[in-house]
Amino acid sequence: MNTHESMIRMLDVHKTFGSLKAVNGVSLTVRRGQVFVIIGPSGSGKSTLLRCINFLEVPDSGQVWIDGRRVEAEPRRLNAVRANIGMVFQQFNLYPHLTVLENITLAQRIVRRVPGEQAKQTALRQLERVGIAEKAGAYPAQLSGGQQQRVAIARALAQDPDVMLFDEPTSALDPEMIKEVLDVMLSLARTGITMVVVTHEMGFARAAADVVVFMDQGQILEQAPPGQFFARPQHDRTRQFLSQILTR
Amino acid sequence: MNLEESVQMQARFIERRRRTRLSDFPWWILAVGLLAAAVAVLISTDPDFNQAFVIIRAGLGVTVTTSLAAFALALVLGLIAGLGLISANPVYRNAATIYVEIVRGIPMLVLIFFIALVMIPGAVGGINVLGELLVSRGMTAAGTPLAGLDISQVDMNFRAVLALAVTYGAFLAEVFRAGIQSVPGGQMEAARAQGMTYRQAMRFVILPQAVRNILPALGNDFISMIKDSSLVSVLAVRDITQIARLYAGRSFKFEEAFTILAVMYLTITLVLSIVMKRFEQRMRRHEHA
Repeated sequence: MNTHESMIRMLDVHKTFGSLKAVNGVSLTVRRGQVFVIIGPSGSGKSTLLRCINFLEVPDSGQVWIDGRRVEAEPRRLNAVRANIGMVFQQFNLYPHLTVLENITLAQRIVRRVPGEQAKQTALRQLERVGIAEKAGAYPAQLSGGQQQRVAIARALAQDPDVMLFDEPTSALDPEMIKEVLDVMLSLARTGITMVVVTHEMGFARAAADVVVFMDQGQILEQAPPGQFFARPQHDRTRQFLSQILTR
Repeated sequence: MNLEESVQMQARFIERRRRTRLSDFPWWILAVGLLAAAVAVLISTDPDFNQAFVIIRAGLGVTVTTSLAAFALALVLGLIAGLGLISANPVYRNAATIYVEIVRGIPMLVLIFFIALVMIPGAVGGINVLGELLVSRGMTAAGTPLAGLDISQVDMNFRAVLALAVTYGAFLAEVFRAGIQSVPGGQMEAARAQGMTYRQAMRFVILPQAVRNILPALGNDFISMIKDSSLVSVLAVRDITQIARLYAGRSFKFEEAFTILAVMYLTITLVLSIVMKRFEQRMRRHEHA
């Protein structure tokens, strides 16, 4: 496999918090255009693993490669890498003092130095894509949770990223708002952008994933296409987790 | 419900509303207003009070400009030191901490003496040495004015502004630090994840939110600054306090001088505090978070 085919490679990544081994020797490859879904119990290290990709958590050891380039903590190069990675958080993390439009244009203008009018057009196009163009002038607090998360997705997409990272994007949402966010993510998955998604939404994993990974205690226990993963889980721990989560 | 009952209910309702209105009314403002009116009457009818007022009034400009200039400078110092307090850089962080701790550990009056009469002369001495060094290296144009700088040229108003600013900068550093830390951590993460530098994230994402949170505190500190500006009278700066002291000492009209002085400060601070409250209410109404 050449570097162009693998979008993300992680080699033996470790990350500890105090005595907790959050990520304990993970290696993985995400190919270009793949939708890579990470599931696992709370505290299994899946969010930490995701955050190690763009160095929001700097790994203690191991390597991370994105599109054939090694990710390093050196600020200038790290910022350039991050500018090409869109990230969506559990708590949305929209900028509350800015309008929806300004939320989406800010990084374009100051990181990528896109001219104002062009940034605005990009923002409106992405808002259109997530279905809330009419909210461009609103402030985040005036939107529902589902709308805020869709704005957050639009904000990430406006970076024109090579990779989209989703950190439990529906976990903070009221049940009736989960679908609108998942629908956006599903349509995004069909566009062929590379996605890494940490989620508890098994329906999304079944429908959209190319690869499903099960994590427990900082390690990847199992990795398979969703059909195989859900029909014939290999590992006891995976079977136990799936039976708990699917019968709930 | 018949007509009579409903009329009674309405009457009760109006009575209750009248009572709450009475208890909500800011009586203290009325009391202070009456006090101010009494003093105003004194000023316009009693020639001694009138004379004291006219003389002391001349210092208002110095009090106001000293406070404004010192506060503006203190905001800059406070922001720089506040960012230092939370900096990951140990040199920057420790320098900021030393500054804040030293200032907090010394009485303000002593600090004003020290800065105006020890630190600034010391700094001028340092500039002289630098100037002489430049001259001896042949850089006469740059060196001569520095070497020739005399401490008597640095006037006391300027030293007073600097002393107040350095003192308040340390207080404001803590205010800025608290304000920055009141912004949820996810904001910095989101900004950095988009590729912003720490500086950009601070400037465009964190500080705008932090400043909004600390505006009330900054307003209170500005009011305190006006009151504490009276301390610079010890440097013979001709603010209202100094003029009142001089006038009282000369004429022995202590009652007139210091009543007028106290009411002047009270008027300024009360007006500012009411303006501040109005402003806060408006901010809260327009708040979108």
